[in-house]
Amino acid sequence: MMGLHIPSDFFRDLLEGMVVNFEIAAIALLIGLAFGGLLALGRLGGGAVGAFATTLIGLMRAAPTFVVMFFLLNIIPRDATLFGVGVSPSPLMIVALSLVPYSASYVADNGAESLKQLRAGSPLGALQFLPNVTRAFFVLVMSSSAGAAIGVTEGIAVILREAVLLPALGDKLVLFAIGILFFGATLQAGFALMRLLQRHLGRLAMRDQAIP
Amino acid sequence: MRAWPTLRLALAGILAGAVATFPFVATAETPDAALAKLIEDARAEASAPDTCAKPELDRLVRVFCDNRIRPGVREYYPLFGTREGQTRSGYDVDVARALARHLGVEPVFARVNAATRVPLLADDRIDVILATMGHNTQRDGQVRFIRPHYYQSETIIVGPRALPVKGWADIAGRTICVTIGNGSNAQIVSHNARLMLFDEAGVLPDQLREETCTLAAQDDSFFDYYFIEPDFAVRFDKKFGFAQVPWGMAVARTASADRLARALDLMSQIFHRDGVFLGIARANRVGTGFLERQRAVWNRPECNTDAGSTNPACVLPALDAALQPTPFAGRVAAIEDWIEARTGVDFSLPMFKTMPAWSLFKDGIVNSLILVAGALAATLLFAMVLGGLQSSRRFLLRWPARASTIVLQSSPVVLTLVIAAAVAQAIFPYSSAVAIGAAIVALGLMNGSNAGQAIAEAMHTLRTERGSVQGTGGIPTTELFGRAVSRSATQIVSFLINAAKGTPIASFIGAPELLSALTDITSFASGRATTYTLLLVFYVAVVVVVVWLCDRLRSWLEHRQAAA
Repeated sequence: MMGLHIPSDFFRDLLEGMVVNFEIAAIALLIGLAFGGLLALGRLGGGAVGAFATTLIGLMRAAPTFVVMFFLLNIIPRDATLFGVGVSPSPLMIVALSLVPYSASYVADNGAESLKQLRAGSPLGALQFLPNVTRAFFVLVMSSSAGAAIGVTEGIAVILREAVLLPALGDKLVLFAIGILFFGATLQAGFALMRLLQRHLGRLAMRDQAIP
Repeated sequence: MRAWPTLRLALAGILAGAVATFPFVATAETPDAALAKLIEDARAEASAPDTCAKPELDRLVRVFCDNRIRPGVREYYPLFGTREGQTRSGYDVDVARALARHLGVEPVFARVNAATRVPLLADDRIDVILATMGHNTQRDGQVRFIRPHYYQSETIIVGPRALPVKGWADIAGRTICVTIGNGSNAQIVSHNARLMLFDEAGVLPDQLREETCTLAAQDDSFFDYYFIEPDFAVRFDKKFGFAQVPWGMAVARTASADRLARALDLMSQIFHRDGVFLGIARANRVGTGFLERQRAVWNRPECNTDAGSTNPACVLPALDAALQPTPFAGRVAAIEDWIEARTGVDFSLPMFKTMPAWSLFKDGIVNSLILVAGALAATLLFAMVLGGLQSSRRFLLRWPARASTIVLQSSPVVLTLVIAAAVAQAIFPYSSAVAIGAAIVALGLMNGSNAGQAIAEAMHTLRTERGSVQGTGGIPTTELFGRAVSRSATQIVSFLINAAKGTPIASFIGAPELLSALTDITSFASGRATTYTLLLVFYVAVVVVVVWLCDRLRSWLEHRQAAA
């Protein structure tokens, strides 16, 4: 362990890898917001559409991200085209798409609740949607590490490719601890941001109540 | 007794007659003489009037009629068959040129690849395949392979020089990048390695350079080209080789190609014996180990005859690539055909058709169910333990548990799994059971810590409600703890479902669950779309069952809380 040598470009690579994690999470959340929003509206609409939306949300909630990722990777042909344009997604995009069932179902659940609050005349209750989405974003950042399994060079992949060259368990654990520190700091910062947002919304609510 | 001399005379006469009738029984011709006679006869036939206009012409005769031979060669296989403008080069190309020169005709090359070489030969658009084609028993039914083989490749494992991998024992639990359909994938899988699949071999060197792959497996003939690049050779080396497969030239499997095949058999023998193949290999900087050994073989008296190419002591057998079918493979194929005929969907169930795939599939399902059950039990166990510790009034119990929870929450799931696997492998030798056990512990810890936190928070609210007087000696009472568990039922259930959903990720550390098993199966069989669809259906169904069971658990816990 005393001889642990971390290459000078490791931390640069790790940060670049973590940017990829954020990229994946952002794509997954954007698609999730669009798709989940539609599902939330569909569910609240009731009837056949509502039943369909509810079933779909349930199935998406049950779909394991890792399996969805391999499913997409193997089901979409590498030369897939739409109107003559290549639509075969990159590995990064496949990881993002595999997180969409989670993000869309999360957005649908929270979005439906927010819409209910809005209809009940509580815009601030509806605004709780924002911290919830922030929480989902950071969960997505952490989950995007699954991309390491299909060759996406994200943060964890950078750590693992360095760890594989270390023979001693102690050295590996030091490296893993660095990874936890980096990801942990990101996560805790995210949660702090979420708390800040919640506090701000709380203050807004208090101000609203104070106004006769 | 007087009849004995007469009988001896009669026997001697019969023997002399037999030797006169079948001279080859007593004397073997050289391959050179046999080839010269074959060529001479074919040339004579080709020069006879009207022969060349005949339909169904013998293919050797046609070579002389047209004064050309049409070899099918590759154009994008470095060192063996490449083309830049009108210039072709490579070992296969030069072998084809040498054959044409020996026959005294011109080579007219046609481009082939792995998918088109056999159909082009069957359509009579080429005369001979000379295109890095491995000779296996499955292909024996499609083409007539030329013996002796003109080259031999093996699958090699390539990785960074610093990586201490020397044999099969060192690859268990590691990820190896391979191409889909490579015949040696099944062998890699049997040594507990994980596979990362790629469609094209061409991407493997870049994946190694970019460190996406730590190890890659592919033909040595493929990596030969990259090892002559100094940058690549400095960083990577061959770890070990396996699955040797002889390469064969091949002609059509028709009677009209028999004499052409025979001529090529004899030329191949002569080329080995005289070092022609060896010289071409050296000129093209491809490996020569096999060719050096073959040169020695074909210089042996028993092999250097016109019958050498059929002598089992001289020629190599084809690689037996056929996988043992399951007893119900026929019925599965019939179902596939039935579905395809009615829906037009290319439906394939490779996991039911061969014994290795069937065995992997069955084990994968059992292991997945063990993983799910184990992850649920471990989540509950760690939730109780960590929940109890975090609820303790003793600082030394409470804070380590809280710190562990924060660390576990801060670690991405893949990293936690890898840490668990690394620790497990430091304690126990690698095995599937160790990988499954490590995955269960990791999933249990990750989800259990969150559920434990929920229990501790529920405990805190209960204490607040009751004026903080419950429990003695800093340890929460069993009754209060039970109520806290009931109160946090929703959170516990949510993390139990999360644990079940997370089990497929165990494949990342080599746990042989269903995702891992199906990835292995699709690496050597077709039907990826159907296979991964079934996988998704399986896991969604498992999670739906877990959700139902967890809902029952939640109802029970909530009912318990209401009763309390």
